[in-house]
Amino acid sequence: MTSLAGIAQIVDEAARTATPIPQLTDSQPSLTVDDAYAIQALSVARRRARGERRAGFKMGLTSRAKMAQVGVSEVVWGRLTDAMRLEEGAVLHRARYVHPRVEPEVAYILKKPLEGDVSAAEALAAVEAVAPAMEIIDSRYRCFKFALPDVIADNSSSSGFYVGGWAPATSDVANLGILMEVDGRPVQVGSTAAILGNPIRSLVAAARLVAKAGERLEAGDIVLAGGATAAYPLTPGQFVQTTFQSLGRLSFHVEA
Amino acid sequence: MTTLQEAATQAAIREAADRLHAAAANGTPTGPIRDLLREGDVDAAYAVQRINTERALAAGRRLVGRKTGLTSVAVQRQLGVNQPDYGMLFADMARPEGLDVAIADVLQPKAEAEIAFVLGRDLDGEQLTVADLFRAVEYAVPAIEIVGSRVAGWDIRITDTIADNASSGLYVLGSRPTRLTDFDPRLCGMVMEKKGEPVSVGAGAACLGSPLTAILWLAKVMARVGLPMRAGDTILSGALGPMVAVEAGDVFDVRIDGLGSVRAAFA
Repeated sequence: MTSLAGIAQIVDEAARTATPIPQLTDSQPSLTVDDAYAIQALSVARRRARGERRAGFKMGLTSRAKMAQVGVSEVVWGRLTDAMRLEEGAVLHRARYVHPRVEPEVAYILKKPLEGDVSAAEALAAVEAVAPAMEIIDSRYRCFKFALPDVIADNSSSSGFYVGGWAPATSDVANLGILMEVDGRPVQVGSTAAILGNPIRSLVAAARLVAKAGERLEAGDIVLAGGATAAYPLTPGQFVQTTFQSLGRLSFHVEA
Repeated sequence: MTTLQEAATQAAIREAADRLHAAAANGTPTGPIRDLLREGDVDAAYAVQRINTERALAAGRRLVGRKTGLTSVAVQRQLGVNQPDYGMLFADMARPEGLDVAIADVLQPKAEAEIAFVLGRDLDGEQLTVADLFRAVEYAVPAIEIVGSRVAGWDIRITDTIADNASSGLYVLGSRPTRLTDFDPRLCGMVMEKKGEPVSVGAGAACLGSPLTAILWLAKVMARVGLPMRAGDTILSGALGPMVAVEAGDVFDVRIDGLGSVRAAFA
C-alpha cells in the first residue's frame, strides 16, 4: 500500500496540474475516512509549503439529497487557501481545472475562534459577517466519480471560491432565494434553506468536525457553508451570475 | 373538417370528460384519455376541461379562482410543451389551515409550495401589462397546493393533464396576507419541510422566472376564453420547488421568505 504521504502527493499533483486520476479506492479499497482526512491534511500541507496561506474551510454534502447520493449521513469538509480565492467579476480560466462546476453558497467570516460542540447561538456570536458566495468544485477523479474517502482525500473537491459583499452577521440567511444564471438564463433556482435547513447548522458542524481533526476555526477564517443547489458545469465563454435575495449578486466570466 | 369528423371529435371530447368526471366521482382513477384526442391537441383538451367546468357550475359549485400549472421549465420539458396550463379552483377545493386534510378527498395526492394571489379588482383583458397586475392584486399569501390526478399512476401527457383540470386537487392558504410591495416575488426563498427536514426548496424565480409572469399569462388567457379574472378571485401561481408525494399522517410546513408560512396536515 502506498503511504498516506505518497497518496497526498498524488492528489496534490493532480490538483496542481489539473490532471485527472483514477479513484484511490479502486487500488486501495481499505482506505478509511480517517485515512482520507489525514491525506487531505498532508496534501494541503504541501500547498502551504509552496507558500499558500490558510483561508478557512468548506463544508460539503450539506443536503440530504447529496448525502444519499454518496450513501453517507454526515457532512464532509475541506480546507481553503488564499490561492483558491478568486476575484469576483473577473475571469476564471477553465484550463486550470479538470472539470469545474459552480454552486451557490453562503460564506461566513469569523471574528472569534470556534471549537468543538457549540450551539447555533455561540456559532453566530463568533461570526463577523455573512456574504453570498460561489464555490468552484472540481473533483480530480475521472468523470467526477468517487467514493467517500476519495472525495475527502481530494480536499472535498474544493478548488476555488468567490465571495460577494459582506453583510452584518445578524442578517437572516435561513431561507433566501437564489437564482444562478448563465449568460442571463436561469440554470439553478433554490434557497439557502437547502443547506441543512439553515446554513448556521453547517457552521456548527464545521466547528465540531474540524475539532475532531485536532484543529479549530480561527478568527479571520472563511467558512463556506455548502452548496444550495446542484452544481453547474463550466465551459469557456460563459458569464455566470448568482443573485441572492437581499444579499446581492456576484459574477465571473469563464475563458479557456 | 367534415361534419362527420367534427361530430366524432365532439363525441370523443364528451367521452373524455365523462371518464374524468366519473373517476373523480367514484374515487377510481381512469386510464389516460389522450388516445381519444389527437396527439398534442391542447384545444380539444381544454374543451374537455370546459365541459366539466360547466358541469361543476351547473351543480352549484362556486368558482373562486384559477391555477397555473407547468410553470417550471423542467416540467414543461418533461411534457414536451413550452407554455404553462391552467385549471379552475372551486370553493370546495379549499381547506382551512389547521384542520387535517382528508387524504381520501383527492386521488393520488402530491404537495407543492406556491404563492397565492388574491385580486382586489378585475384583471380582465388580453392587453394587460404587469402594471395592471400591480394595481389588481390585493395581497399574496403562501399556499400549499395538493395536486391530484384522475389518471391512473399519473400516466399523463399534456392533453391528459389539461383535460383533468390541470391535475388540480385541493389547496390550503396561509393565514397572513402580505401586500405585493412587502416581499420579493421573484427572489423569495422557499422551503417545504416534513418533520423538520427540507423536502423541497426553491424560490419565486422557479415559477416562469417570476410568479407575476405566470398570473399575467393566466389573466390574458382567461380573458380570451371568456372566463375573465374577477375581484376576489384566488390564483395559485405555480410551484416554487419540486412536488412531493403525500401520505396520511404527513405534515408539511412551507416557509416563503417575506410571506410567512403555511401548514398542511394529512389524515
